[in-house]
Amino acid sequence: MMQRLLPFLTLFLLFVILSIAAPDTFLTERNLSTVVRQTAVINIIALGMTLIIITSGIDLSVGAILALSGFMGAKAMEAGYAIPVAVLIGISTGALCGLINGLLITRLKINPFIVTLGMLGVIRGLTLTISKGLPASGVPDSFKYLGTGTFLGAPVVLWLLLVCAVSMHFVLEYTRLGRYAFAIGSNPDAAYYAGIPVSFHLTCVYGIAGLLTGIASMIETSRLMTGQPTAGNGYELQAIAAVVIGGGSLRGGEGTVVGTLIGAFIMGLLSNGSDLLGINPYLQQALIGAAIIVAVTLDEVRKRQLPR
Amino acid sequence: MLLVLDQIRKSFGGVNALKRGDLQVKAGEVHLLMGENGAGKSTLMKIVAGMYQPDGGTIQWNGKPVQFRNPAEASANGIAMVHQESLLFPHLTVAENIYLGREDPSSVGFVNRRRMMDQARRLIEEQRFPLHAEWQVSRLSPAGKQMVEICRALSRGSSLLIFDEPTSSLSESETREVFRIVNGLKASGMGVIYITHRLDELRTVGDRVTVLRDGETIHTGDLKDLTTDGLIRHMVGREVNSLYKRTPVAPGAELLRVQGLSRRPLLKDINLTLRAGEIVGMAGLVGAGRTELCRAIFGVDQIDAGSIRVHGAATRFGRPREAVGAGVALITEDRQKTGLATSLPIASNVTMASLASISGFGVIDHRREAAMTLEYKSKLRIKMDQPQQLAGRLSGGNQQKVVISKWLASGAKIFLFDEPTRGIDVGAKVEVFEVMDELARNGAAILMVSSELQEITQVADRIVVMRQGRISGELPGGASQEQIMRLAAFEAESGELQ
Repeated sequence: MMQRLLPFLTLFLLFVILSIAAPDTFLTERNLSTVVRQTAVINIIALGMTLIIITSGIDLSVGAILALSGFMGAKAMEAGYAIPVAVLIGISTGALCGLINGLLITRLKINPFIVTLGMLGVIRGLTLTISKGLPASGVPDSFKYLGTGTFLGAPVVLWLLLVCAVSMHFVLEYTRLGRYAFAIGSNPDAAYYAGIPVSFHLTCVYGIAGLLTGIASMIETSRLMTGQPTAGNGYELQAIAAVVIGGGSLRGGEGTVVGTLIGAFIMGLLSNGSDLLGINPYLQQALIGAAIIVAVTLDEVRKRQLPR
Repeated sequence: MLLVLDQIRKSFGGVNALKRGDLQVKAGEVHLLMGENGAGKSTLMKIVAGMYQPDGGTIQWNGKPVQFRNPAEASANGIAMVHQESLLFPHLTVAENIYLGREDPSSVGFVNRRRMMDQARRLIEEQRFPLHAEWQVSRLSPAGKQMVEICRALSRGSSLLIFDEPTSSLSESETREVFRIVNGLKASGMGVIYITHRLDELRTVGDRVTVLRDGETIHTGDLKDLTTDGLIRHMVGREVNSLYKRTPVAPGAELLRVQGLSRRPLLKDINLTLRAGEIVGMAGLVGAGRTELCRAIFGVDQIDAGSIRVHGAATRFGRPREAVGAGVALITEDRQKTGLATSLPIASNVTMASLASISGFGVIDHRREAAMTLEYKSKLRIKMDQPQQLAGRLSGGNQQKVVISKWLASGAKIFLFDEPTRGIDVGAKVEVFEVMDELARNGAAILMVSSELQEITQVADRIVVMRQGRISGELPGGASQEQIMRLAAFEAESGELQ
């Protein structure tokens, strides 16, 4: 049980260390809401990635999907659509991309790694083609509120993240879809033999992940106030890292919302802390990379100690 | 004597696979190794080939005591094995497979392709094999792959070759080809150990025979001194202890009818009926097509011809989901691979095939799920702490009970049990039989595939025997193990035993 709490303890420890090391800059409302705002995008993407990784799949195209969805949403605003309509367009774009991923994986029966690696190129390339490489910048000022505003004293994105996290937790723990995701990831053959509609649910899983990426893309667009066709580069790896640090297993059948949130925040704090402490940003990358390996090693050790 | 094995012992975990394995093989003979499934034949041969280390006993090779620590040592001494499941590299050529791992050391990592090809060609010509050195192995038939393995053994100068059921996956003409090869090897002075389940082919190839039963060598002698009846008695003749005795109930309505079912390449013209209240035992040797039949009925594999009627209605399941929906359950032989989600809680496994019945609008009722799990816990006496315990932590017998619970919960009426007692201890076996008995009493129809003749004779009301993809005969419940073995290993209704 103690070891199950390890990610949580790590986060707590990191928090305490930073509070002591940078007392004036870290524990300020301003800095903490920056951390929340910075991690919210990765966090929301990672929630979808959690669901996918539970099915023992992976999605390398989320960064590209974020760019396309964000660009489409911003372009819609530029074209004069009302903000809610434009947001809907952005989110639907993400969901559609996810569904295409799911359909390719289940219909063609090709490994998710390959399909989404290909889709990463396809979507990113399409986004750059459509945009001619230029950002969509005609975003109305009021759209700022989503990424930078506060609601009931906390950043709007924090509330949004909470809603997404609670929903995903509900899906995983209480719905048939969530249960089937675990079953498919834990033993795909047994799931198939038990009469579970495997292809249908896998397609849904990738669709949901795309939808969440669409939501994240709107936050990103609001924070940047443009639809950047180059946005989200490398986000897929950060999202995967968050899931894995939080105890998700790439072998499938394991993963929790709380774990993923903690994983994303650990990475967020590492990055924020190194900024505050003036650590070279190049070194930061190495630090976060090492953190992933340490976290997964500790988790593996825990699992090996369990009686089989 | 080429090879002398004396009192070889080997156990895995707590299971004694071999208690007393004795075997003497001469140069220039084909020595048959026979016994039921699980008698210890493969274990003994893997010890000879250096894949396992014996726990006790001695091995003499060419008169000298030896110990092979790994397959490479056995191979260096001239012992080679032609495997049932080919251990070749499918993407490499025939020549590369023959010489892999023995490239000329002076070439420092480079492969002298031309010389290798020449050598392979010469070898293939000498044996008159229908092979080409540059063919890719993945495109060869099972017989072709065996020829490659034989070439590999010959190229290493082997003097003892072990064949593990070489003909189990071969056609008739390919089988004759294997016999020709084996006789050729014998004539050239090599020793051959030949494992087979097929009583009909043994007199074509064999000179002497050793019979294993329950890990012990029961008989060794010249094949011509032994009648086939006598051989069968050696193979199955254990004391029948009363493991379980079922009182059959009068069968009710016909729940499943399979007519003329065929599926290439194995299943041919299968007819089978299951009635409510009936436990039908299905016997047969490994590879007879019993598992394939279960898969075909359950919709995992598509059939080429024939019809399946469930509850009187003609059906053809395109996938397992449709079979589950029609009330059919398949308890597969490989629990870890296709039965249990070991990294999930017991409760998730129990409700896996019936989640719709305990959820509304896609939301699972966790209390009903827990209650359901506890209900099956007490009903099947599953030894577990609580529903959220991981299924993989249970013992084999309790895991099997969880799998059975899954199918009970699905409301199935037709149960296909494929080797339901594999890998579980005797006590749990009896409990599994009791569950099957209760199911039958409550009107379910049960097909029990088993390789343990004893349990089939004790549990089944009727016994259907399969052989090489066909039903070779049907016997009443009390039939003797000898009767079953005869149908399983011989041509149907063969007169030669009389």
